[in-house]
Amino acid sequence: MRNSLAWYPIFLKEMLLFRRKLLRLGYVFSAMIMPIIYLGAFGWGLGRSVRIQGTDYLSFLIPGLVAMSSMNNSYSWVANALNLSRLYFKTFQVFIQAPISPSAIMIGEVLAGMVKGLFASLLIIIIGLFISSAHFITPLFVITLLLNCFLFANLGVITGMRAKSHEDTATYTNFFIMPMAFFSGTFFPVDKVPLFVKPIIYILPLTHTNIVIRKSSLDYEGLISLLVLVVYALLLFAYGSRLIRRYSE
Amino acid sequence: MIEVINLCKSYGKIKAVDDLSFTINQGEIFGLLGPNGAGKTTTIKMLTTLTKPDSGRCIINGIDVVDHPLEIKRRIGAVPQENNLERELTAYENLHIYGMLHNVTEMKEKIDEALKVVDLWDRRDSIVTGFSGGMQRRLLLARALLPEPPVLFLDEPSIGLDPQIRRQMWDIIRKTKIDGRTVIITTHYIEEAAALCDTVGILSKGRLIALDTPQNLKTTVGEYVVEFLNDDGKLIQRMCQDNDEAHELARHGEDGVTIRKSNLEDVFVKLTGERIG
Repeated sequence: MRNSLAWYPIFLKEMLLFRRKLLRLGYVFSAMIMPIIYLGAFGWGLGRSVRIQGTDYLSFLIPGLVAMSSMNNSYSWVANALNLSRLYFKTFQVFIQAPISPSAIMIGEVLAGMVKGLFASLLIIIIGLFISSAHFITPLFVITLLLNCFLFANLGVITGMRAKSHEDTATYTNFFIMPMAFFSGTFFPVDKVPLFVKPIIYILPLTHTNIVIRKSSLDYEGLISLLVLVVYALLLFAYGSRLIRRYSE
Repeated sequence: MIEVINLCKSYGKIKAVDDLSFTINQGEIFGLLGPNGAGKTTTIKMLTTLTKPDSGRCIINGIDVVDHPLEIKRRIGAVPQENNLERELTAYENLHIYGMLHNVTEMKEKIDEALKVVDLWDRRDSIVTGFSGGMQRRLLLARALLPEPPVLFLDEPSIGLDPQIRRQMWDIIRKTKIDGRTVIITTHYIEEAAALCDTVGILSKGRLIALDTPQNLKTTVGEYVVEFLNDDGKLIQRMCQDNDEAHELARHGEDGVTIRKSNLEDVFVKLTGERIG
């Protein structure tokens, strides 16, 4: 296999496992359940009476839920699977002992995480198309979604590599992922948060995903947020590759 | 040829491997024998690029393991102590993924061949979760053999297997020593080291305390053992160089004296004062 395709066996392994998981209905439901609860609780509850940024709340919420869901699933599946395979099943060691580069391992794991994130997002998009009249799927939406999946799959690799136990991954999730899900513009615009909190909010990558994913075309604000996401993604990719390169038991 | 030179590895204050040096000739089955915690697995992990040594060098066929890990990975196969197969994939899928990672050509033919060597060809499409411990060990061996590596590392290859299955495993391991392949085994089973290895290195607390053929090791400490119980009911063992010496000693002993040939456990006890198992 050519060096440029050295990532493919890792991706293929994850996809074979993913295909088996998809055959279990529980997996599909678990990917859908939280966004559907949010849609029901916030979307239908507030949707009819509240308008945000010139649109009804449901139309505002759906792109945010897609962003949140892509973040959660790209991140969680990679972080948990990698952590378990490294610490408990020891299957990650097969990759370390294979004659492939650390970046090939990184690419394989990240692409697999992206597929899982995109799958979960697709479920929300399909539901969104049924219940909302808004046309939220634009080329910018798709690019942002892919970038968001890439970014958080990278973060998943980092957590999977750094966490010292499976319980430890929950700590990372509680500190980084949960706050982002609620305070990065998924459920309400970030300009509504108090001034002193804003610098923190704008550090969080999901904030920038939520800014870009709701735009129909790229303006100056969107361009800056897109660049922030690209920089985050590249930095996280480089750091994840470094962790794999320095792996030692 | 494999050279290990002044290899050291510590975890905190514990010296897992302490100034280890030895040489393994091409084409031999080399055994690292010692109790749990002797440093066998840590040594194997350093030789197979999983663990970076604190100091010292490992050189496999002229290539330094730390400086050129990718080159080393192209030349070695490893069976770890724990089962690290993908449990939710089939036997064939496990080998297929591994083969792709190691650039194996004519994949299907080689997978079929590897599965036949370990007698798992008829279970190629079964999910690994349903395999017995012995089948999983055999599949791990088939996986390691797939890229036809010139150097093969087996970390406790028959751990947890019952005696009959263990002997089947030994037969397969003997077959792997073809085409000048070097095989390195770690084990804490005395019989396994004696049955398989051309050379045995005995490890204790991270240090190499003896290195020779199994026969020479036994000759060094005494080929015969005279055993009897003392007045306190404690088992006393005396090593003897030959049968005559053993019988002479036994004649002066008490009732219930037995004479038997020595084994590698006796060598370990003589050298360390402790038991392996």
